[in-house]
Amino acid sequence: MQTVVLDKVPALGALYAQAALGATRRVRRVAPGSLPDVSAEAREVRISEESLIQYQRLLGDAVREEVPSVFLHGTVFPVALWLLARKDFPLPLLGMVHLSNHVRHLRPVRPSETLTLRAHARDLRVHRAGTQVDLISQVLVGEELVWEGRSVYLAKGVSLEGSSRPEAEPHPDFVPPATTGRWRLDATTGRRFAEVLGDFNPIHLSLVSAKLLGLKRPIAHGMYLAARALKSAAPHGVGYAWEIEFAVPVQLPGSVEFALTSATQSSVGPGTSDEEPGSVGFVGWDARKVRPHFAGSVVPLALAATVGAGTD
Amino acid sequence: MGQNLSQNRPAVVIGGNRIPFARANGAYVGASNQDMMTAALDGLVARFGLQGQRIGAVASGAVLKHSRDFNLTREVVLGSALSPQTPAYDVQMACATGLETIGSLADKIKSGQIESGIGGGVDTVSDAPIAVSDDLRNVLLAAGRARSLKDRLAAFAKLRPRDLAPSAPGTDEPRTGLSMGEHQALTTQRWEITREAQDELAAASHQNLAAAYDRHFFDDLITPYRGLAKDNNMRADSTVAKLSKLKPAFGKSLGDQASMTAGNSTPLTDGASAVLLGSEEFAAEHDLPMLANFVDYELAAVDFVSGEEGLLMAPAYAVPRMLARQGLTLQDFDFYEIHEAFAGTVLSTLKAWEDPEFCKDKLGLDAPLGSIDRSKLNVNGSSLAAGHPFAATGGRIVATLAKMLHEKGSGRGLISVCAAGGQGIVAILEAR
Amino acid sequence: MADQYLDFANTPFGRSLAKRLGLPAPVRLRRYEQGAALIPGAAMVIGSSELARTTGELLLGWGLEVRTHDAGHAKLGAIVVVLDDVTTPADLSPHALTLSPALKRLAPGGRVITIARPEQDGDAPELAAARLGVTGMLRSVAHELRGGATANGIELEGSLDLSAPSAQAALRFLLSGRSAYVDGQFLRVDSQRGVLPQDADRPLVGKVAVVTGAARGIGAAIARVLRRDGATLVVVDVPQAGDALAKVANEVEGTALQLDVTRPEAGELIAAHAKERHGALDIVVHNAGITRDKLLANMDAAKWDSVIAVNIESQLAMNRAFKAAGLDQLRIVSLASTSGIAGNRGQSNYGASKAGVIGMVRASAPQLSSGVAGINAVAPGFIETEMTAKIPFATRAAGRLILPSLQQGGLPRDVAEAISFLASDSAAGINGRTLRVCGQSLIGA
Repeated sequence: MQTVVLDKVPALGALYAQAALGATRRVRRVAPGSLPDVSAEAREVRISEESLIQYQRLLGDAVREEVPSVFLHGTVFPVALWLLARKDFPLPLLGMVHLSNHVRHLRPVRPSETLTLRAHARDLRVHRAGTQVDLISQVLVGEELVWEGRSVYLAKGVSLEGSSRPEAEPHPDFVPPATTGRWRLDATTGRRFAEVLGDFNPIHLSLVSAKLLGLKRPIAHGMYLAARALKSAAPHGVGYAWEIEFAVPVQLPGSVEFALTSATQSSVGPGTSDEEPGSVGFVGWDARKVRPHFAGSVVPLALAATVGAGTD
Repeated sequence: MGQNLSQNRPAVVIGGNRIPFARANGAYVGASNQDMMTAALDGLVARFGLQGQRIGAVASGAVLKHSRDFNLTREVVLGSALSPQTPAYDVQMACATGLETIGSLADKIKSGQIESGIGGGVDTVSDAPIAVSDDLRNVLLAAGRARSLKDRLAAFAKLRPRDLAPSAPGTDEPRTGLSMGEHQALTTQRWEITREAQDELAAASHQNLAAAYDRHFFDDLITPYRGLAKDNNMRADSTVAKLSKLKPAFGKSLGDQASMTAGNSTPLTDGASAVLLGSEEFAAEHDLPMLANFVDYELAAVDFVSGEEGLLMAPAYAVPRMLARQGLTLQDFDFYEIHEAFAGTVLSTLKAWEDPEFCKDKLGLDAPLGSIDRSKLNVNGSSLAAGHPFAATGGRIVATLAKMLHEKGSGRGLISVCAAGGQGIVAILEAR
Repeated sequence: MADQYLDFANTPFGRSLAKRLGLPAPVRLRRYEQGAALIPGAAMVIGSSELARTTGELLLGWGLEVRTHDAGHAKLGAIVVVLDDVTTPADLSPHALTLSPALKRLAPGGRVITIARPEQDGDAPELAAARLGVTGMLRSVAHELRGGATANGIELEGSLDLSAPSAQAALRFLLSGRSAYVDGQFLRVDSQRGVLPQDADRPLVGKVAVVTGAARGIGAAIARVLRRDGATLVVVDVPQAGDALAKVANEVEGTALQLDVTRPEAGELIAAHAKERHGALDIVVHNAGITRDKLLANMDAAKWDSVIAVNIESQLAMNRAFKAAGLDQLRIVSLASTSGIAGNRGQSNYGASKAGVIGMVRASAPQLSSGVAGINAVAPGFIETEMTAKIPFATRAAGRLILPSLQQGGLPRDVAEAISFLASDSAAGINGRTLRVCGQSLIGA
């Protein structure tokens, strides 16, 4: 695989603008194996202390000597997006749906550490609603892998040549667990989160920008929802694995009913089945319509021996 | 060990004073925490002739507090009839504030550190601090730090219209975003507390409080304030039938299972209270009454963030620990003062103590604590009727219970107060 | 402040305007201040009896400059006319004619005081005429005086002389600024009982005093004056007035007792509080009172009964309780009113209650006649308080300005001074009496 070393972490705004220009191109089908064999890399990357403080204030969490997992995701995300915005990337960037994240945060990362960021795409595969792809992102300190994430994206309505779309599996009825929290998200939630991590995807920002992209109302960043969930569920001082699956988007302004569960009770989909001791599940849903927004889990790596390789 | 404490000299409750509790944005509009606490303290000083005296320490606090009130209690003392040489300190432990001040002062008296102390608390929702938004605050702080006009202007240039909206303190739990009522609604449902049981408790609270006023019980416990001589939330004619007509206010997501109404939940209230404690020597030397001994107190907290336990259930954990230390059972009391944050709180706590599974799994007990004689519960009314100005409730309860015990002439009373943040505080008083 | 007219009338402009409009020119009364001279000048003693001689000696002993016969050019702070030896109205003549020129030398705030025997059953007609003649003369002189000067008398029963502590105490009270608003009145001493204070400026040191209705007005003033005079205070008022009561308690460094005095157990609770918290109960001032004015033609039961219950029945019940509690050395002072003497339109209930107080005091005296025990009443005239502020303006202005010899309303303090005097052990020789503090108001004659 060819590695392109970027001279700096790209600005997301420029990438979105570039993607918007390419949006005139309508993609109906893609060929398997059409993913570019390219890996992007940015070196000597430092965390902005100011952004980190802003991020923790926004979530109402304390600033610690460890970088939150979602903040690391936000740090490496522009590198991954650079791949998606390339002309040779077969799927259209704008309008892609974020399905899930699967992260191994191998050890606590200090804000002062110098990072290397890497990303590549892989595994173009069929989905009942289109074609999905994995974006693999990595954060390294020196040669040590400290954070690795797989984000699954769906290009709706794009067919994968040679594959027929599977039938939609019947959803099990969603039975919400006992509430442990309620998030009241005001209309500025998307903009505020965007300001911290630079993800100015128009679907999150305002009513006008969201409507331009065909949404009724702006929706919350998936990673904001993950960040809120992890604030309650993630351990401190150890590595951990976590994942989140997204279902119905959270419209802004809006309210999310939230529950922490001791074992994963995800009924969004087949999902995860970490029944590890110390693992925490979480679910967010729409209390009125009784529809899930997301579900996920967190497993401390000190407890999850199977994932523990290379840590400590 | 508890033994050590009980070998110390007793800390005696001499008496108390509070101003009537007023429903928020009503009788006490314009009164600050300092105003109200000073009134409560001056009333106490007047009742016991403490003018110009140097008290060992005065401790109080408020849950909703202005930043200018960083030294609230000391400012109150300086504005009171007490000697300006009286030291004072603030405590802030949500609704446990009042009882914590009294407990900590009792410990100081028991250990011989001080001879006398005044504990209490105050809260106003009508004069709650409204803060500027975090963004505006950051801009203002940055502008304050700026060394040049250019830097200052640069700081202000970051300001956006939305930053100018003020932010008021909520009663939501910061970590869950749920209001206290929503939390209790979950607990109420978890313990299957019926609407009827909650309304019965609420009606009894009003009727008991009104009866206590009628027999002049509060004549030496309350000093009127701003034209109010009685708690104005009290409805002497409250009945279960009337309460049953109210619509649910909390737990609406529970649908037709929602049972918590404005009638069986405490309203937001303004008020202040103060309790005078002393050693036996202090009381005798000043010819002051000795109503009860402050025997012991205990704190507890629960993990409500994960949903493992209800927000307001901490007292259920604190009580058995204190009972064990004192070698008592739950039935060894003549009065139970369980703060009625919500009727559901009281009933859930009582039900938990009766539940073998809870007592075994959560409290680690071989047998349930058991049930209490309900005729001994909140016999002169509690927060549902009187109201609950957060930090003032502890002082209200201690003074009330001490007087009840003194009137009876013997026996013990148990106090239980739940608090935000999953905390709880409980205490034992003994008649004298 | 109570009397803006008084303040206005004492500005140069106000004085001339008042004069031109024919309005009375009230002056600031000479009120008591600790450490101030007893009287504003020399004292002149008129009279030729043995009592006149001992009076002069007593005044000399108090450090006063004393003159007899002729005042010369001195400003007189007081003129004491001793008339115990008059046997027929003709005997008044030389004394009156000696007093006549001396009056012109009387300083503002000065005093004219007669010391005489009261007219009593069995007096010969001539004697009775002479003795009652003294009162007529004195009251008329009181009307004649200006500049805040007052005229009052002391009546010594039987053969009592100035060795009676209460006679001395009465003389000192009437000379001093404590009696500023007492005018045209007589203090009758009926026994040798009474103990003079060690310090005349602090006569109540060591005494525990209860004042009911102490949250405001006259009650609060009574508490302040009793405190100034050395007493330890228990201030009582209804629970509804507790905040004002607490302020008074803290001001006078006493204890506040929130209590409705109409409760049956009020006396018991007061006695218990005083004993438990202060070790004793020496003085009770029954000041709590209410008005519910209505013409009798329009009266309802609530208005009538509440006034009677608070103003007199409660006092009777408390006194019974104090007696039952064995408080046999109690000094009690009750608040009557000139309305209880002369009546007042719209105050049939109030008048009944206050006349009732006068009767209660008179009838209770024999039961409180040992040691320093005793019971008396004070009947205020027009006093500027929150309660009188409710009286319609016209009535109020008339009551305040036209009727009293002193041409002004009194202050709560003036009533308090009289009460403090009657509450002291030195007044034990005065019992069952009602002293008016009315600036010699025509109301009640």
